[in-house]
Amino acid sequence: MFFLSRQTVRRHRSLYAGSFVALAVGVFLLGLAATATAATVAYDGPAAASITVDLPQADPPQQVRVPLSDADVSGLQTVLSLVAVISGFITIFVIASTFAFAVASRRREVGLLRLIGATPRQVRRMVLGEALVVALAAAITGAVLAQLATPLLLAKASYTELAPVKLEPASPWVPLLIAISAGLVVAMLGARSAARRAAKVAPVDALREAELEPTRIGVVRIGFGLLFLAGSIVLLALIRPGTGEAVIPLSMFTPMLLVIALTLLAPLVVPWIGRLWALPLVAWTRVSGRLARSNVVATPRRSASLAAPILAISAIAGSMVLTLSFAADAAAATIRDTLRAPIVVTAPEHGAAVRERILGTTGIAAADGAIPIDLIRTDGDSAEVETAEGIDLAAATRTRALSPISGDLTNLTGKTVAISKELSGFEGYDVGDEITVTYLDRTADRLRVVAILPTAPGVTASMVLPPELARQHAPEATPSQWFILPAQGSDAGALVTALNERLTGTGASAVPAVEWEEAQGEALRQGNRFGLILLLGPAALYSAIAIANTLLMGSLQRRHEFVTSRLLGATPAQIRRMVLWESSLVGAVALSLGTAITVTVGVLIRRAMTDGMSDVPATVPWTVLLGIAGLCLVLAVGAALAPTAFILKRSHPGAAME
Amino acid sequence: MTSTAPPRPFVVQSESPALLLDGITKTYRSKAGAVDALRGVTYQFTRGSFTAVMGPSGSGKSTLLQCAAGLDQPTKGMVMLGGVELGGRDEVALTKLRREQMGFVFQAYNLLGSLTVYDNVALPLRLTGRRPRREDVYRVLDQVGLEGKAKRRPAELSGGQQQRVAIARALITGPAVFFADEPTGALDSSTSRQVLTLLRQATDRTGQTVVMVTHDPVAAAFADRVLFLSDGLVAGSLDRGDAARIAAAMSELEG
Ligand SMILES: Nc1ncnc2c1ncn2[C@@H]1O[C@H](COP(=O)(O)OP(=O)(O)O)[C@@H](O)[C@H]1O
Ligand SMILES: [Mg+2]
Repeated sequence: MFFLSRQTVRRHRSLYAGSFVALAVGVFLLGLAATATAATVAYDGPAAASITVDLPQADPPQQVRVPLSDADVSGLQTVLSLVAVISGFITIFVIASTFAFAVASRRREVGLLRLIGATPRQVRRMVLGEALVVALAAAITGAVLAQLATPLLLAKASYTELAPVKLEPASPWVPLLIAISAGLVVAMLGARSAARRAAKVAPVDALREAELEPTRIGVVRIGFGLLFLAGSIVLLALIRPGTGEAVIPLSMFTPMLLVIALTLLAPLVVPWIGRLWALPLVAWTRVSGRLARSNVVATPRRSASLAAPILAISAIAGSMVLTLSFAADAAAATIRDTLRAPIVVTAPEHGAAVRERILGTTGIAAADGAIPIDLIRTDGDSAEVETAEGIDLAAATRTRALSPISGDLTNLTGKTVAISKELSGFEGYDVGDEITVTYLDRTADRLRVVAILPTAPGVTASMVLPPELARQHAPEATPSQWFILPAQGSDAGALVTALNERLTGTGASAVPAVEWEEAQGEALRQGNRFGLILLLGPAALYSAIAIANTLLMGSLQRRHEFVTSRLLGATPAQIRRMVLWESSLVGAVALSLGTAITVTVGVLIRRAMTDGMSDVPATVPWTVLLGIAGLCLVLAVGAALAPTAFILKRSHPGAAME
Repeated sequence: MTSTAPPRPFVVQSESPALLLDGITKTYRSKAGAVDALRGVTYQFTRGSFTAVMGPSGSGKSTLLQCAAGLDQPTKGMVMLGGVELGGRDEVALTKLRREQMGFVFQAYNLLGSLTVYDNVALPLRLTGRRPRREDVYRVLDQVGLEGKAKRRPAELSGGQQQRVAIARALITGPAVFFADEPTGALDSSTSRQVLTLLRQATDRTGQTVVMVTHDPVAAAFADRVLFLSDGLVAGSLDRGDAARIAAAMSELEG
């Protein structure tokens, strides 16, 4: 059957071009992520910039080298693995739907094969063979492109926040082999259901006039759809107050599951939503809206395939954008609620001089300058670099909200630590437990947990030490920010001016806390934007190709139908309008489902993250969200219309007789 | 047309008919209601016969052909092909029976556009897992008058030539029964003659059985016998009729 597969792929080039492009781009992204990861793995930081710690509880007991933040590439590794996950997901998704499409539009040919003696098994093998031919070519193309682009990516990624080092390409063989095999596996998985459906085509289908697919969808498909739906409902239920930091990954994976569920069930729901959206169309237009509606509603499977990539990217991108925006809102509100001091001094350098000058300024009731100290926290079989701070309780309890959730801060003396609720939740530490740490001066210590504090990133570190302990192990460290409380009756505005006067030349500056809070929030959103572009950029690019791909294939398939309609008296403009409404309708249906997912995830995330806070502003990034929706629609409509116009221009009505 | 050795030995005439339909009914059910396409057809196609099936549009001709070839299950009744009952067999068994015992020729869309003429003809053998012998393929191509066209693709052939490729493909496995549904429906009269002559030769030279649905009296005149269908029932038959007599019988049926 392989012989036949090779021949048919050659013949149906336009059908398979879609799958080829989709898979090649997918393998390209995976390959790029893999070679870049290999480069980070191969990167060998300077030995001086790392510390070796013992992990006696690990099985077997071992030593690990922990790179210090200066030469750390783990940030880039995390991002790359997330990119690989998202790209991999979208690839499976798109490949499955393009193969399904390619098979659906060849019913008659498959029927003919069955008629002249091909068994269902042979048909299945033929489709899988076709997938293999396309996948091999596409995977190798993608891998070659990835290899060519790797030096560019590494040059761009070097010396950034994520990888503040110089990255060199590593040996490409293993990572590219992984990407190619992943691409082949993905293609075969995607082709499997298409092959199974092709095997069900009956020999009489070769004789029937209509090339329409049966509209009923299989019990198996519905079953899997419901299964995925149930799975995503379980995940949705996990997005609740108390889940802590895990809500962020949940907000990424839940939409993926929901997308799979809704795509499987789409043939059932698409007609209903399609009818709803078509109401205004049918009212406004004379015939094209009606035609568009019946085309979308009467072939739910086809419409579902066209809608799938739009649904996938709108739901995933929408949920991530909304989640990160709400996370930034919650973080800003936490900073606002935790910081009591009305003035903040930021001191990038000259710490010692800054300290004297601040303390020498009149009108200050409390100056809270925490000593930053990096340390390695070891726990069982893992070692983690943490940024801790040594705080002066007398000042800090007045400038920040520091009432412990449990334990007592007055015990924070000697070898003790107060930790954030988040760290306690993540690692299961409780008051009275001991945490093993190694300072950067390479001495190890065991610190007893005396209190659990509310999590307040940006204001209070996740580990708070007595100031003496911090100073002992980081004698050079000086505070990088000060929270200043003015004395009773002294004016905060005047104090800011006075502080700035005294601080001139030190590089430090004083600002009202409100301004500082705003800047913190903005920095957070800036960081989020960067992360979103890195994570969603490739997926969005890929989805754009996929959307254009499916709709282009969809329109090219309909040459005969268009030409016949021309023969029946439809003008080219009428046909174009029909295609315009039809693709808009498909886009609207997909975006409705995508919006439903985004809103559900967004609402739950917000509830989870703002638990116990009041007055948290809700920033909905309308421009970005509407931009995503608008782009999807424009791509869908454009990709459907362009080939239609081309077909109409190139063929006269008489061609229907051929 | 050169005549070479037959592709398989003469089928021994035996008592059992090539194809037996026993009380076939077929009811299509859809939302619009039930349609009785066949309402009890009993008929024997003897070995080596060429039978034309005629009748008004919607009289059940295509349904009869599909049930007889095991492409569709009759609602009631029994179909026996070469002494083997078709009912109650699974898809794989039916497929094997089809590729060994039956050949198909239809009005259009008969060929795989991605394959050359040679590969189209050789395909049934490949599907059975046999390696096609070049001389076998060239022999059937000669037989249908397509010498030298082996490397062409279907799109480069005329409609009549395409139909002849389809016949060559049916001939290569040496099937016991040929099923043809309007094989000349899309052809002009002279190419129709060539195609019908080939089907005629299949019965005359190699003793194969041909069942052909047609609405054209000229085509039906190539058959030994014309079977008339009307409203899902056998309405009569006519042996060795010429086109004029067949046309007269048809208009009587329709009138
Ligand atoms: N797949 C089908 N579903 C429903 N009705 C059908 C189907 N195929 C044929 N019919 C109906 O059965 C009757 C006989 O059809 P057919 O055998 O195609 O007639 P003929 O070939 O003689 O024109 C017609 O009324 C036709 O509408
Ligand atoms: Mg018919």
